[in-house]
Amino acid sequence: MININNILTKIVILVLVIIFISSFSASYNTLNLDNSAFVVALGVDKSEADKLELTFEFLATSPSGESVSETKPVLNSVQCSSITNGINIMNSYLGKKVNLSHCKLIIFSEELASEGISNEVYSLVNEVQIRPSANIVVSKCNTKYYIENSIPSLESLIPRYYDIFPNTSKYTGYTCDATIGDFFNALICNYCDPYAILGGTTNSENESSQSNSSDDSTIKSSESPITGNRLSQNIGLAVFNDDKLAGELNAIETICFLSIKKEVDNFLVSIPSPNDSNSKIDIYLTPNSTHNINVSLVNGSPYIKLKLDFSGKIYSMTRNSEYLDINILNSISDSCNNYLESQFSSYLYKTSTVFESDINELGSYCLSNFLTTSDFNNYNWLDNYKNATFDVEINTVIDSGFLLTQT
Amino acid sequence: MTKQKISTVSAVMLTLSIVVSYITSSLPRTFINETKSATLLNIIYITMIVLFIILLFCKLLKKFPGLDLLDISKFLGGNTLRNIVGTLFIAYFIISSSIMLRNFCEGLVVVYYPLTNYIFIILMFIISIALTNRLGFQSTINTASIVFPLVLISAILLFCGNLDNFSFRKIYPVLGDGAYNTFVLGLKNIGAFGGICYLYFLPPMLKEPEKLKKIAIISVISTGFFILLCVGTLLFMFSFFTTTDEIMPLFSAARHIEFGTFFQRFESVFLLIWIISFCCYLSISCKFATHIFNKMLNLSDMRPILNIFIILIFAISLLPKNYAVSNFVETHIYRYLRIAVGFILGMTILILANFKKRKVGDKH
Amino acid sequence: MKIKKFITNIFNYYPNHTHQFSLPNNANSFQNTQNENNTEKKIFTSLDINLDYIKTKYNLLINSDIVTREFILNARGKQYKALLLHIDGMVDSQILNDFVLEPLMMRNKNNLFDGEQNRVISEAVTNNITVRKVKKFNLADYIENRLIPQNNIKQENTFEEIFSGVNSGNCALFIDTLDIAFDIDIKGFKQRSIDKPENEVVIKGPHEAFVENIRTNTSLLRRFTNNENLIIESLEIGDITKTKCAVCYMQNIVNEDLVAEVKYRVNNLNIDSLLSAGQLEQLISDNNSLGLPKAISTERPDNAVQHLLEGRVIILVNGSPFAVIVPAIMIDFLTSPEDRNLKSIFANFLRTIRLISAFFALLLPGLYVSVTSFHIEILPTELLYSILAARESVPFPVIFEIIIMEISFEIIREASLRVPSAIGSTIGIVGALVIGQAAVSAGIVSPILIIIVAITALSSFAIPDYSFSFHLRLFRFLFILLGYIAGFLGIGTGLFIYISMICDMESFGVSYSIPYSSMEQLKNTGLILPPIWKREFRASYLATKKEKKQKDISMKWKTQ
Repeated sequence: MININNILTKIVILVLVIIFISSFSASYNTLNLDNSAFVVALGVDKSEADKLELTFEFLATSPSGESVSETKPVLNSVQCSSITNGINIMNSYLGKKVNLSHCKLIIFSEELASEGISNEVYSLVNEVQIRPSANIVVSKCNTKYYIENSIPSLESLIPRYYDIFPNTSKYTGYTCDATIGDFFNALICNYCDPYAILGGTTNSENESSQSNSSDDSTIKSSESPITGNRLSQNIGLAVFNDDKLAGELNAIETICFLSIKKEVDNFLVSIPSPNDSNSKIDIYLTPNSTHNINVSLVNGSPYIKLKLDFSGKIYSMTRNSEYLDINILNSISDSCNNYLESQFSSYLYKTSTVFESDINELGSYCLSNFLTTSDFNNYNWLDNYKNATFDVEINTVIDSGFLLTQT
Repeated sequence: MTKQKISTVSAVMLTLSIVVSYITSSLPRTFINETKSATLLNIIYITMIVLFIILLFCKLLKKFPGLDLLDISKFLGGNTLRNIVGTLFIAYFIISSSIMLRNFCEGLVVVYYPLTNYIFIILMFIISIALTNRLGFQSTINTASIVFPLVLISAILLFCGNLDNFSFRKIYPVLGDGAYNTFVLGLKNIGAFGGICYLYFLPPMLKEPEKLKKIAIISVISTGFFILLCVGTLLFMFSFFTTTDEIMPLFSAARHIEFGTFFQRFESVFLLIWIISFCCYLSISCKFATHIFNKMLNLSDMRPILNIFIILIFAISLLPKNYAVSNFVETHIYRYLRIAVGFILGMTILILANFKKRKVGDKH
Repeated sequence: MKIKKFITNIFNYYPNHTHQFSLPNNANSFQNTQNENNTEKKIFTSLDINLDYIKTKYNLLINSDIVTREFILNARGKQYKALLLHIDGMVDSQILNDFVLEPLMMRNKNNLFDGEQNRVISEAVTNNITVRKVKKFNLADYIENRLIPQNNIKQENTFEEIFSGVNSGNCALFIDTLDIAFDIDIKGFKQRSIDKPENEVVIKGPHEAFVENIRTNTSLLRRFTNNENLIIESLEIGDITKTKCAVCYMQNIVNEDLVAEVKYRVNNLNIDSLLSAGQLEQLISDNNSLGLPKAISTERPDNAVQHLLEGRVIILVNGSPFAVIVPAIMIDFLTSPEDRNLKSIFANFLRTIRLISAFFALLLPGLYVSVTSFHIEILPTELLYSILAARESVPFPVIFEIIIMEISFEIIREASLRVPSAIGSTIGIVGALVIGQAAVSAGIVSPILIIIVAITALSSFAIPDYSFSFHLRLFRFLFILLGYIAGFLGIGTGLFIYISMICDMESFGVSYSIPYSSMEQLKNTGLILPPIWKREFRASYLATKKEKKQKDISMKWKTQ
């Protein structure tokens, strides 16, 4: 070791420390806690004159500083030509550096999304700070209006609400945990298409649409029968074809999407009762892990065979029901199979023929049919997907009801 | 030079620590870029080939027990050849570590220190190895054996933490860009096993030299496994490495790890571990370079020349004008250097020396 | 010209003067064969042979506290050569002088009496033949019955039993021509002056501590060891003070190179005075710039003996109630004497806790500084907002805040040591918390920071070894600085240098970082404490003469 006691060594160490502090201080100043303003949600909208309108949601902490619950959301908007510029303008307005590292939600407006958002997504992904797990939402209304109304009804801390609402997809299947990382991944890949959460608000004018949906499970954002404190809702899925918004999926279609992707743990469906076509039975279904998806090419167009297994329990209970009889259970299973098969087929044909978008990455099952990447690229899966034929086979096993087995 | 000798496990850790630095820089990206979905096949194939080479190497070395490449080249062509070989290897070690250092630091600049000049980040590493290289060889070995398990844990965590995001169907199409690309052009990737060429200098330092074969085989297999783990993570997770580039590929995989809502975004912890293991790599390279120099000139004490090598590394790492140049050097020149010095030069000398030995043996 | 000197210092060659010593890595277990077959040695009739045997067994030439006293014994008017063997410090010299030596040596009624008068028990005369029942004279019985006025005396005929008596504080009397020896109980420990240990408190274990008197301390070691293989060598250090020191080791266990090295270092100290064990510890250990302790110092004799039996060397200094144990490796400073008394799962749990607390004590403030300055994304959002809210009214940057708090905490800790009673320290810590609370409400520091500082402080208290926690306390500031300079890059490079330096260190030839770094098949490295019946091996890095310390199946009762 160099002799530490040597006075010159000490001076050199001191000089080095000073050099390092001064050289790193620039990075320190941009990243340090006190100089940063943390965005919790970022809205990207289209303004007049073909510009972007960025909406930043910050949280202002109360000066008393004793408890976290006293945070208030603060919204700032800026019109700009690119996201980076917008952030820059916001920096100078706020007097602090905008930090996206805690941005949980990125919202694109429907209008912008239908024109294509690849530039915005690329520049967001290029940002080091953005977390790949930030959720991406396509809002049916103005993004600023959506963020304003996304105030959690039960929690006080907004980021926590943003964190947990996509998780409801695990047990409802009505929405999806779509992240910007997945979005980017799907944007680049040549056998899948991106998707996002469909967000919206209940407008007062739109309330008439409540009655439009005959079925509980066909609801989606802005067309749902919910009324509450909070106006924003996140039900359904926005489907993209490449980077352009192609269409929307409602709740039951989202369930289909999630169960093919194996991203839902259990969900509730109402199937027509086998005895009485007017009444419905609610069934709580759990997908089994033995999904079997097989893609083969028939005459150059894909033939996709899906075999999905579910096990279920009957939720609804009426007078004179008998849920221990095997025959009754079988007939309910059959009815359930028929119902789901029709739902899945309509979902699949809707995405393939109407939206021309393979959001389920069914193309990846086709990869094994090719020997080399160039073969697959030449085949051009995404173009051929619209010609696909689907064969859906649902196998549901209804075991039992819940507490009451017989009435 | 060393009082204590290297145990078998430590030797394996040593060679693995070299690979870690390749992995954390651009190596996995190069792998995927070039062989596409056949990467895993390619890695297994290359591991087989390297295993074959290393078995040959052990067989060739059997006639020279306890000798390293320098002694062997002295036997083959006298002091001149020994000095040439020694110089080549020193140059290789120094150039490789400085290029890796430059690229790693460029990555760090982008990720965490946007407004800091890369010189200072390089200087930080340089100071750390300048301080540690004054310590004994044993310290480097021990440090490698403390740090490598951490890196292994981080790699496994990376793999397991991302299991949710995996789609295993991405190994199809099986052949990627075709058989020619995978098996013939893919041979270029053999440079990933560059850590093996440190084995040439290990025999005199080993505690049990007869276990060299075991060390070599274990090193190759675990290197292959380690690369498989890291490249597999990237391949299964992202569809985009086949078409796009990211500056630190494993880092971007680390960003995706999430356990619940509390443990999110702890990629900087991974980076912390990789920084430590990168220091380890630099220190090992520097130690080996000085060791060779020492052996060439028969110095009794190598501490005075340590600083010169460190300053050399610093200077060379500053040479490339920008990241584009240094990245080009790494992906297009350095990998062939790895193959040329690590495999071709070493093996040629060994084979020739074996011939000479046989000839000499015949005469007697 | 100093700059020139500095540059030449860096680039010039100057030879390596460091003293290097290393222990061989594998134990040569065949060394110990001569010591194994010494069971049941009978006492010889010749006193000289007995003396020679004792000399070899107890290594009288080097063992300092074994006393042999040769004298002439008077019995029945005859004189015999006799020998007293006892251990200094364990016997009561008053009793020995008054009631053993005096009756045996001095001419008095008892030993002048020649016994001829009483020899005939009965006499019958038939046909002029006198048949006399004569009591056979037995010198041993005579001495036992007549000459030694002691309440507890035994005749033994094997060395083993005699030695075990001597080791536990008895005195042995050998007499020429007799093939037995007397085991006389004249134990006299300084029982009352031995106090409870104050710094190393254990719950399930002996409550005895070393005292200042070196003789008492050696007697404590003797009593715990109870074996003649314990060698206590006496040395004097210091030109002026001539402080008595004792180098203690188990002759049949310890590696001889280690003993030679310790003695070499202790004997080659050119100092005027040596006043405490702490000074000796610094004087004999290899220098290191990290300031890590390289010798264990303990005030517990049971702990010392445990190390002694592991194959380490103990150095006692007269006037210090501490034993210095060498060699010591890093894991020893995270081990508490209590560990051995606990079941192994609890001991290992505690050990893990201590390891974590060492990590916290060293790195936690540094990590906090680097996270808040460079790596904010790692914080969970809720925590981020708590920190932001807490820092709302704090005027200082984080680095300044944390340095203020750490330094004021160190001041409080130092001040509380100066408060006389032991309660002072408790008051000090409470005071620190109160001051912290006040500082928070005054808006000088944030409450999160108080938690960080408090956890760090608690962690450094959880380290069993005092000097090791000193090291952690000091180097914490270095990591704070590094974290402030360059975040995780600074901490990473700093940690690398730190690990490398620890790996480079050796304590008396044993690598300091052994259980963590060495990937060899080492036995009993101390990383994980096995269950008590599995602790068969001595630590193999000590290269002891005896590899095993218990049989493969130590709990024999289970197998029968």
